[in-house]
Amino acid sequence: MNKLSLGDKTASSGLNRWVDPSFTDLPVENFSVSGRKKPCPFSGFKPEPKRPRKRKGETTGSDSHSHFLLKDSVQDECDEPWVDKHAPRSQAELAVHKKKIEEVENWMRVHTNTSKGGILLLTGPSGSGKTATVQVLSQELGLRVQEWTNPTGLELYSCSHQEWAVNGYSSQSTQFQEFLLRANKYNCLQMSGDGRASDRKLILVEDFPNLFFRQPSSLHNILRHFVKTRRCPLVFIVSDSLSGDSSSRSLFPRDVQEELDITNISFNPVAPTTMIKVLTRISALEAAKSCGRMCVPDQALLESLGSGSSGDIRSAINSLQFSSHPDSSLEKGLWRMKKDRGGGTQTSQGKTLSRKTQKKKKSKQMKEQEEEQAIGGKDASLFLFRALGKILHCKRQSHEEAEGADGASGPGLPPHLSEHHRQALLVDPELVVERSHMSGEFFNLYLHQNYMDFFSEVEDVVRASEYLSDADLLTADWTSRSVMWDYGSSVATRGLLHSNSQQVTVGFRPLHKPNWLQVNKKHRENCQAAASLFRSFCLTPISLQTELLPYLAKLTNPMRNQAQIAFIQDVGQLSLRRFPGRLKLEALTDKDPGQLLLDSEEEQEKKKKEEEEEGQGASEDGLLPSQPQPTANQVLLEDDDLNIEEYDSD
Amino acid sequence: MSLWVDKYRPNSLAKLDYHKEQATQLKNLVQCGDFPHLLVYGPSGAGKKTRIMCLLRELYGAGVEKLRIEHQTIVAPSKKKIEINTIASNYHLEVNPSDAGNQDRVVIQELIKTVAQSQQIQSSTQREFKVVLLTEVDRLTKDAQHALRRTMEKYMATCRLILCCNSTSKVIGPIRSRCLAIRVPLPSTEEVCSVLSTVCKKEGLLLPPELAKQICEKSGRNLRKALLMCEACRVQQYPFSADQDVPETDWEVYLRETANAIVSQQSPQRLLEVRARLYELLTHCIPPEIIMKGLVTELLNNCDGHLKTEVAHMAAYYEHRLQLGNKAIYHLEAFTAKFMAIYKKFMEDGLDAMMF
Repeated sequence: MNKLSLGDKTASSGLNRWVDPSFTDLPVENFSVSGRKKPCPFSGFKPEPKRPRKRKGETTGSDSHSHFLLKDSVQDECDEPWVDKHAPRSQAELAVHKKKIEEVENWMRVHTNTSKGGILLLTGPSGSGKTATVQVLSQELGLRVQEWTNPTGLELYSCSHQEWAVNGYSSQSTQFQEFLLRANKYNCLQMSGDGRASDRKLILVEDFPNLFFRQPSSLHNILRHFVKTRRCPLVFIVSDSLSGDSSSRSLFPRDVQEELDITNISFNPVAPTTMIKVLTRISALEAAKSCGRMCVPDQALLESLGSGSSGDIRSAINSLQFSSHPDSSLEKGLWRMKKDRGGGTQTSQGKTLSRKTQKKKKSKQMKEQEEEQAIGGKDASLFLFRALGKILHCKRQSHEEAEGADGASGPGLPPHLSEHHRQALLVDPELVVERSHMSGEFFNLYLHQNYMDFFSEVEDVVRASEYLSDADLLTADWTSRSVMWDYGSSVATRGLLHSNSQQVTVGFRPLHKPNWLQVNKKHRENCQAAASLFRSFCLTPISLQTELLPYLAKLTNPMRNQAQIAFIQDVGQLSLRRFPGRLKLEALTDKDPGQLLLDSEEEQEKKKKEEEEEGQGASEDGLLPSQPQPTANQVLLEDDDLNIEEYDSD
Repeated sequence: MSLWVDKYRPNSLAKLDYHKEQATQLKNLVQCGDFPHLLVYGPSGAGKKTRIMCLLRELYGAGVEKLRIEHQTIVAPSKKKIEINTIASNYHLEVNPSDAGNQDRVVIQELIKTVAQSQQIQSSTQREFKVVLLTEVDRLTKDAQHALRRTMEKYMATCRLILCCNSTSKVIGPIRSRCLAIRVPLPSTEEVCSVLSTVCKKEGLLLPPELAKQICEKSGRNLRKALLMCEACRVQQYPFSADQDVPETDWEVYLRETANAIVSQQSPQRLLEVRARLYELLTHCIPPEIIMKGLVTELLNNCDGHLKTEVAHMAAYYEHRLQLGNKAIYHLEAFTAKFMAIYKKFMEDGLDAMMF
């Protein structure tokens, strides 16, 4: 994290410095760095060749670090982002699970010692410590990190046209390829000042040339080339976001991963406890340094920061710095608000506070439901697996809790409705759906696929399935669909929650991806194929599918072409086994984002188109307009004979 | 070798095997040289299409039988391309507009327009109108039906429409009133049997009357199905025996087993298994409505008389939802669950009654 963020920050803070007058006492050389991009007025001065900046690993980083630390005044220290200042320097400081670090470390050890490099792909949400882990580990293992950063094209436009021609313009991807080649082949020059001359190094790519996002295949080609000549390990770091496009899947599809033998290690969001530990450490350090000039955040604030950032440690530290900044009028306001709100929740929780056992759990829940997050908080999001679990496991208040709250909640239900009485929910279904980043329709499909395992009574299932049916009905009309989606998902989730009357704790149940999309797609494809293959029978689709095809499967009637025979065998016959094995249940893993589905929809569309094209092609081949059709009421004998000949010639 | 259904299809009104009176009426209708728009309706497998083709042959002669399949592309006003297959001869055009889904209105208007605008060259020897045969009219959207009504009047001079559907209940009133409605009922059991034995005789086979009767019952007097069954019997066993099993389609057997599974146990786990079986049926191109219908029939066979009204009512309720909704499985499953609950309650009550 250190390395990269520092690099970014020199650029970005460079911008700030133009605006903010309080930075006048900055070292001059920083300006020269940022001034590099300015058009250079001297014709003799050749702009630095646009080679990607190669950073020399930890050395430069810590150099500039110490440089700052030694030279800068306290005020400057305040200005430096804490993210960089307190970047982890050892494994112990990393806010990543030990097992993960070990995993990465093992890979690094294996692939650097053998001198036959491999490719590692690190994925995970932003701020989960991927880069930091690589940096720390490579430092510990004595590896030199060579990192690719996208060259900026600014210099090009500044130089004159001739120069341009002389230099030759090469695309980013070409440069990337060149970089890989050089970094792979050649060692760094041995500088005299360079203390630890290790020839072992590691190539780090975090910043992908833009072209690759549009044409992942070009990246794959370059990588194939790399793999043939590889000598040192190559590490890719891709942040995947929950809601956005997951670039790791498009850049590194599974087949390519297998082909190129790419190891994929995915990081989890930083755990809340680890997060709070880090935050506490940083705030303690800073408090000690500032000698009381800084308002020290209390534990509650740290916790809310931790949960508000939803596992993004970078943003958590940033907001910590922001919130503990002295003499900021804005901040005071925030504090006050924070405190008020804290007070409010305290009173509402007042009754339960006495019960130590429940307190912890409860406050956690409350925090999750908290609408407004702390300063700089991210929108919390849930992985689909957890979101589904929240609905399906149907957590409600226990009886004791309810008794406490009963007095406030008013009179209960009248006797004849008492069977519908449920304890208060511990989750807000709408919020869960919203945070799953899925459309209600897909969420319902997921629920439908999985709800049955959580019910034990048929009567409950009846009610649940009816609610699902209601939800589908609500979104049936396309004109009002966009409005009704929310209601549909609300009906489905709340219906499921309410109809699960038994409340048995079922323990862990695997969740599956819905079959419906697959089935529906197959149904449509088969219907289309049937229509195009058996067009010559001139039947309506229904009688074709329910009468002709099944019987054709039973007849030994010679078909006209192979495709028809294959299709009949596939569709016309049903294996009469008790339990069909055709539908493979695809287990939903912990981390699967809902996005998968959308892609499969797209693929579906694409496939459909292809199918159509194929169908057309086949039909045009198969049925020439001049060919007499067998269905064309030919009873006359001579016609029949003629037909037979024709079939033979086929 | 073509199927018996196609091979022995009558090709003139005189050769039709049943509803002969109606055939004569049609003949008279055509003989005066012109006829109104027709709306031919009746259950599947009753011989609507056969009758229509005979009518056309009567009208235009053997030229109608030279069919070609055409692939047409129609551009909707929204620039969307609609592809549709038509079957045409020189004199008529057959199209199933419901293939185009929601865009069927455009298809109808464009196709009829192109047909109607081209005049017959030799009007002396031929009729001065062409025929457009629209199948599955009851599956047309309301929009398309209203468009059809205007089109019918506009191109009356050069074009006649023959509409073909299973039931007129989904055809809007204005269209019904603009057409001469012809109902083609199912053939009676005797008629089916006689057709079957005639066909077998032509094939040189001997069909025992008992088997013919059995086939007829199994097919529900659907002649197409009966002939297919008969042919399947031939493949299965020849010489025929009077008590041989008439082969049913795989999906019907499968559906019956599904119904048995529902009746034998009522639990969420069983429902899950049933769901898998429903999916299996769907992937085999069986439309959800047919699944629903078949399931209800099988379930009704299995349950007690007291329950039948309630089950039928539930079936109607969910079938309606199935038509309105998006994803059939929700409704099929809800129906299954509901049946399970009703049946389970009934069984438990019965058990209690027996105990005391």
